[in-house]
Amino acid sequence: MNNSRSAESRPVRIHGNRRLFLYYWNRTKQNKLAIAGLGFILFLILLALIGPFFTADPTHVDFAERNVPPLGFSTEESIYDIKTNAFTVNLIEGTWKHPLGTDGKGRDMLAMLISGARISLEVGLLATLIAICIGALIGVLSAYLGGWWDNVLMRFTDIMMTFPFFLLLVLIIFMFGPSLTLIVLVIGLTGWTGAARLIRSEALSLRTREFITAARALGASDARIVIRHLIPNVASLIIVMATLSIPGVILAESALSFIGLGDPSQTSWGIILNDGQKSLDTAWWVAVEPGIMLFFTVLAFNFLGDGLRDAFDPRSNLDAR
Amino acid sequence: MTDSTILEVQDLKTYFFTRRGAVKAVDGIDFSLKKGECLCLVGESGCGKSVTVLSLLRLVAAPGRIVSGQVHYNNVDLVHCSEEKLRGIRGGDIAMIFQDAQSAFNPVLTIGDQIAEQMTIHGSIDRQAVKNKGIELLKEMNIPEPDRVWDSFPHQLSGGMKQRAMIAMSLSCDPKILIADEPTTAVDVTIKAQILDILHTLKEKRGMSLIFVTHDLGIVADIGDRAQVIYGGKSIEMASVSEIINNPGHPYTKGLIACLPDSSTDSERLASIPGTAPNPIDLPEGCPFHPRCAQVMDICRHVVPKQTIISETHTVNCHLFG
Amino acid sequence: MRKSWLQGYILKRLLYAVIIAWGIVTITFILIRIGPNSPADKYLANIAARGQDVAQVTAAIESRYGLDKPIIVQYGDYLMHLAQGDLGWSFSTSMPVIDLIGKHWIYSFQLIFLSSLLAAIIGILLGMYSAVKQYSKIDYIISTFSFAGISIPNFWLGVMLILLFSVKLGWFKVFYDTTLPLLSLENLKALVLPVFTLGTGMVAGYVRYTRSAMLDNLRKAFVTTARAKGLPERTVIGKHVFRNAMLPLVTIIMFDLGSIVFGGAYLTEIIFGIPGLGQISFNAVFANDYPVVIAITLIGTFLALLVNLITDIAYTYFDPRIRYE
Repeated sequence: MNNSRSAESRPVRIHGNRRLFLYYWNRTKQNKLAIAGLGFILFLILLALIGPFFTADPTHVDFAERNVPPLGFSTEESIYDIKTNAFTVNLIEGTWKHPLGTDGKGRDMLAMLISGARISLEVGLLATLIAICIGALIGVLSAYLGGWWDNVLMRFTDIMMTFPFFLLLVLIIFMFGPSLTLIVLVIGLTGWTGAARLIRSEALSLRTREFITAARALGASDARIVIRHLIPNVASLIIVMATLSIPGVILAESALSFIGLGDPSQTSWGIILNDGQKSLDTAWWVAVEPGIMLFFTVLAFNFLGDGLRDAFDPRSNLDAR
Repeated sequence: MTDSTILEVQDLKTYFFTRRGAVKAVDGIDFSLKKGECLCLVGESGCGKSVTVLSLLRLVAAPGRIVSGQVHYNNVDLVHCSEEKLRGIRGGDIAMIFQDAQSAFNPVLTIGDQIAEQMTIHGSIDRQAVKNKGIELLKEMNIPEPDRVWDSFPHQLSGGMKQRAMIAMSLSCDPKILIADEPTTAVDVTIKAQILDILHTLKEKRGMSLIFVTHDLGIVADIGDRAQVIYGGKSIEMASVSEIINNPGHPYTKGLIACLPDSSTDSERLASIPGTAPNPIDLPEGCPFHPRCAQVMDICRHVVPKQTIISETHTVNCHLFG
Repeated sequence: MRKSWLQGYILKRLLYAVIIAWGIVTITFILIRIGPNSPADKYLANIAARGQDVAQVTAAIESRYGLDKPIIVQYGDYLMHLAQGDLGWSFSTSMPVIDLIGKHWIYSFQLIFLSSLLAAIIGILLGMYSAVKQYSKIDYIISTFSFAGISIPNFWLGVMLILLFSVKLGWFKVFYDTTLPLLSLENLKALVLPVFTLGTGMVAGYVRYTRSAMLDNLRKAFVTTARAKGLPERTVIGKHVFRNAMLPLVTIIMFDLGSIVFGGAYLTEIIFGIPGLGQISFNAVFANDYPVVIAITLIGTFLALLVNLITDIAYTYFDPRIRYE
């Protein structure tokens, strides 16, 4: 066997390996939907970062400009005139000043949606990060301590997994008051079960593999084995899992805000939607727009996650067709 | 087609269409099968012999497709006939057994269900008669406790048992032709002997024709009447088994024979053919064997050799005989 | 086949369910009771309006319901009652919790039953079709829709359906009409939008799972065997492939069913004002009515565990290879 062949068939370390990154990137690139998803997510991040510099203050209330429809649409507003004792009908048309319209308090929808994008991304990324860290810790501990500890940790994981998660969220937020920090913490602190199980089973199967035994024989410490071997080996699984769990987190925060338990000091999509639901007959766009953003964001993460899973899965044959 | 010919294959080509291009798994195979004979298709793994037999009954799954050729059976062209007609022949007139009985049985249905299903689809209605015949067949295959096996799931049987049950299933509709796709590759030596014995007896007793796919020339010598050597998806030599063994024409066949362990000499080392089987996605121009051939000539690199008749029972596709 | 090991297995699993239920009761109880709110809160406005001393009356109410005892004693009391099948007293509705649940479960049940049934049938059929016609135009269309279906927030879908069919077109009432008799055509009509809201995501999920499970099995050797036996394609797909693809599907569908009470059904009930278990537990949270919250959480969890157990047992019949330790 010559040298170039053996380099290809050797198990490759993940961190710091540019070639491997390129390999996975090339596999991901074949999936157009995944790339579209990635594009949308990047666009959203950009929007959340620089959007606020170009739009109005999302909390600015202006009753003179309330319920302005989006550009290209118009609505009729009937106003009761006390002098003539009759309704006068006003035609309101969308303006460039508020391209996506305004809500019932005259707040600019575009500015609110951009603020919502920031919150959704923050919640999604932070809560997932917390969940993955806890999951990794519990999974690795469970696998390496084994025995009694493994049993206790896994039974605890089972309980957390069985717990009606959304009810727990509603309960805690109601008890301790709606704040974004608390929402992120609760989602992060309850959402780690999947990651813990995955990482535990991966760690258990790794323990028996030859290269770990070899590392042991060479005197590597457990901590070193975890950092140098286990984590790189489960990295792809974690990336896929994280990408696919972000939309769930975003949806949970929105649903919570939607039922009135959102952080009132923040303009999240769920909160806008909650307002919009109450004014479906006068200003439909207030309910429609945040939902569309939510839908495309979730779709984008799902597309990307799916593409990554296929790319990381050595069994998936991307060549067939 | 002479009277004794039961199946005739002409210029069969089956390609797999993938993103990287067409994989020419079968690229021009001709042979005929006579009544009551055992024809062996011989070749290395990946030479296209399994795809050939799958193509006979149009069992190649997408992205594979039969791109040309004819398979004549009983005045019907199996490549072009209707689905309905074909289904009557599949499992009825022409039955098939596979390499790995473990995965060839449906894991969630009992052996009995799966045998009975085949008989029912080909017209047997009486459930009790079906079961009796099925158990009779299992018994004929030397399966102990056939009643118990009838109600067993595949995972409850040993590999050899499964293979024999598979043969029983294939015989359930009294086929005229049995196609066996490497039925002895996945079983151990004693089972292998048993299975070959069963197949041999069946051929003799029922007058059934047998197409036997194998890479093992030992088996060919054991059970075969004639042999067709396949290389790179093409027929390269066809002869009676004794001629193939004693007087091989094609350099590739010669190589295969040389690979056989020979008990008459004390030589410890087995000969081998240098190089590897060709990549079917990028077959070499000319004769597919030329990159590995010791007697390669200039013409071999450019022109596909035509069939040359050496004797009444021996043809070879090689420029050495041109 | 005799399955004598099954009994021990079921017992073990039931015991396990009890332990998990205990864990959940404990977590819920602690969460609610360490919170700053009290079930007496809802009387405060009345008390203040009547000019009574708020602190004194609150104390009286709390003492009546045993809320003044140390939390550990309350917890012990609650567990004791629970062990005897007593789910407690609902403060906010002034009736035993068991009666409250008895009155409302049917609303959740009809919503969940209809949605799951329709979603399973439609999802499995579309998924099978999509798998058999892999890479065809219809496959792409079904796959795209199923991706959209799993991504659409179901509470938003509910609002949009209300906007379109109730507000704009006026075909349906905005809120579910609780006065309708359960077994009537009008009731069925009132459930159309909620079932659609809850079912869309489920259909999409089942399409995806069915498709991939079918594709996994379509390439297996036994499919070629089945074809070689002369079976028509309908039988090959519908019997041989589907029987194998069904195994992972059953788990997923049943798991969905077990967790749906507090999943999609919860929000759907709130959006459409359906007075099911989700809605009453939601209201109970806001009323600090902790016995109701715990009871419904417990029922939801137990249901999920029970469904999972039934699935595992059913599995041994669907898949003869399975044997649990």
